Amino acid sequence: MYNENALNKISRDHRWIGVTFFLDLINGLSLTFKYMFSRSVTMQYPDREKWVPYPRHRGHHVLRRDENGENKCVACELCAKICPCNCITVVPYEDENGKRRPLVYDVDMARCLYCGLCEDSCPEEAIALGSVFEYSSYTSEELVVGRDSLLEMDGKTEQPGSVVKARYLPSAQSTVEAQESSGYDWWRFIHRKD
Amino acid sequence: MELMTAVAVIMVKVVLITVILFIVPVPLTWLERKIAGHIQQRMGPMRVGWHGLLQPLADGLKLLTKEDNIPDQSDRVLFKIAPFVALVPPFMVFVAVPFGDSVSILGYETKPYLSDMNVGLLYILAVAGLEIYGVIFGGWASNSKYALLGSLRTCAQLISYEVPMGFAVIGVIMLSQSMNLSDIVDAQEPLWFIVYQPLGFFIFFIAGLAEAQRIPFDLAEAEGDLGAGYHTEYSGMRFSFFMISEYLVMLTISVLCVLLFFGGWHGVLIPLPAPIWFALKVGFFIYLFMWFRFTFPRYRYDQLMSIGWKVLVPLSILNILITGIFVY
Ligand code: SF4
Ligand code: SF4
Repeated sequence: MYNENALNKISRDHRWIGVTFFLDLINGLSLTFKYMFSRSVTMQYPDREKWVPYPRHRGHHVLRRDENGENKCVACELCAKICPCNCITVVPYEDENGKRRPLVYDVDMARCLYCGLCEDSCPEEAIALGSVFEYSSYTSEELVVGRDSLLEMDGKTEQPGSVVKARYLPSAQSTVEAQESSGYDWWRFIHRKD
Repeated sequence: MELMTAVAVIMVKVVLITVILFIVPVPLTWLERKIAGHIQQRMGPMRVGWHGLLQPLADGLKLLTKEDNIPDQSDRVLFKIAPFVALVPPFMVFVAVPFGDSVSILGYETKPYLSDMNVGLLYILAVAGLEIYGVIFGGWASNSKYALLGSLRTCAQLISYEVPMGFAVIGVIMLSQSMNLSDIVDAQEPLWFIVYQPLGFFIFFIAGLAEAQRIPFDLAEAEGDLGAGYHTEYSGMRFSFFMISEYLVMLTISVLCVLLFFGGWHGVLIPLPAPIWFALKVGFFIYLFMWFRFTFPRYRYDQLMSIGWKVLVPLSILNILITGIFVY
């Protein structure tokens, strides 16, 4: 193992021995040699691998559905009120069952600071910040996402904090498609001195 | 007819060695980046070709197509010829470097080197010293403070370290009683000179690191304080000539280490063909150079000078003394 105190182990009087035989340099060389044959931590994003975020990751917003497949949101506008960036616009209406639902539910991704307050404040657990993080675009208008696309977004991850095989799909909306559900734990290969 | 064949053989060898020397730096740049990457737990180039193997070609193309920029108010003539002045000496060194025992191809007995000089070692040290001119020209002609400081440092460094390097080689010459490189290699048939000359090798290797301007002695192009040293102002093809010459100097030092101290093409234990043994040993030294580069920090300028003059020169004289006593 790497020993940063090899020089100190030799008593002060004999320190010249260590200096003469370059103990500190040899120490450094052995450390880099060990690292040389340890596994690299590089994640080959985007064309080979992709990071699956933790459930606590705050990514693209998602509107949840209830067990009947209906939008959970009751358009109470609490999320719009609490949002520090004023980036949620909710316009309520009454649907055919006489329930209050959002007619418009727009989130401005470009202004959002991903604080998660909307998720915390929602009484129906309708809005949530999901795992999607690839939605860059050329214009800020494209980043205003409406109700119907929010309902279709992926939610929180199940198998979190790992690296999975992935494939890059070059298109206008460039995305990276994950090709397996569970990968390896990236942190496994990080050297930590214990 | 005899003469014709001899001339033809020499021509073939010249072309072969030149082509090989031009090609060798290409994989070396790839290797260096890979080693850098893996030491830092990265991967290095991965995208171009299998594990980035074609990356040097992409880099070469990029350098070729780049603008060949000549700074305003530079000394244009010197600026233009400096890369070539730096490039030629490393090639000239390989005139006297033997790569193996004599071989016979198509019934024609030939030796895998250009010239079997009896002062080969002296020639190599002398010609290798010429490389400094390219550096001085480049640094001076650029009309840039970074380049000038870099080339001044290089001058002082190369001059200081040529002394211990030459002295370290004397021990080998005393043991083998010859300056001919193939004789030196043959003298190591029973036992490599590293066994008799550990101190000599140590001095030679450190001085070689300094001659090749590699870390920990790369003050000439200390990125942190000098931009890129003497080739700060160079771009495109001229810059790549400087790079090729640097890699070739590294190759020269590795080859000399192998020839002088590690038994040249003579193998141990495993009987492999001579060129393969030779390449393996040289490769090991090149790996060592790169491994050092990504491990050590750079010495300060005054430390560099004091190591050269206060440590290596006395040690090398001591080495000559000890060798003299033993040989006598
Ligand atoms: S995460 Fe914060 S900033 Fe973004 S929409 Fe929700 S409350 Fe607003
Ligand atoms: S998402 Fe939640 S907080 Fe926001 S309007 Fe709908 S129900 Fe209310």
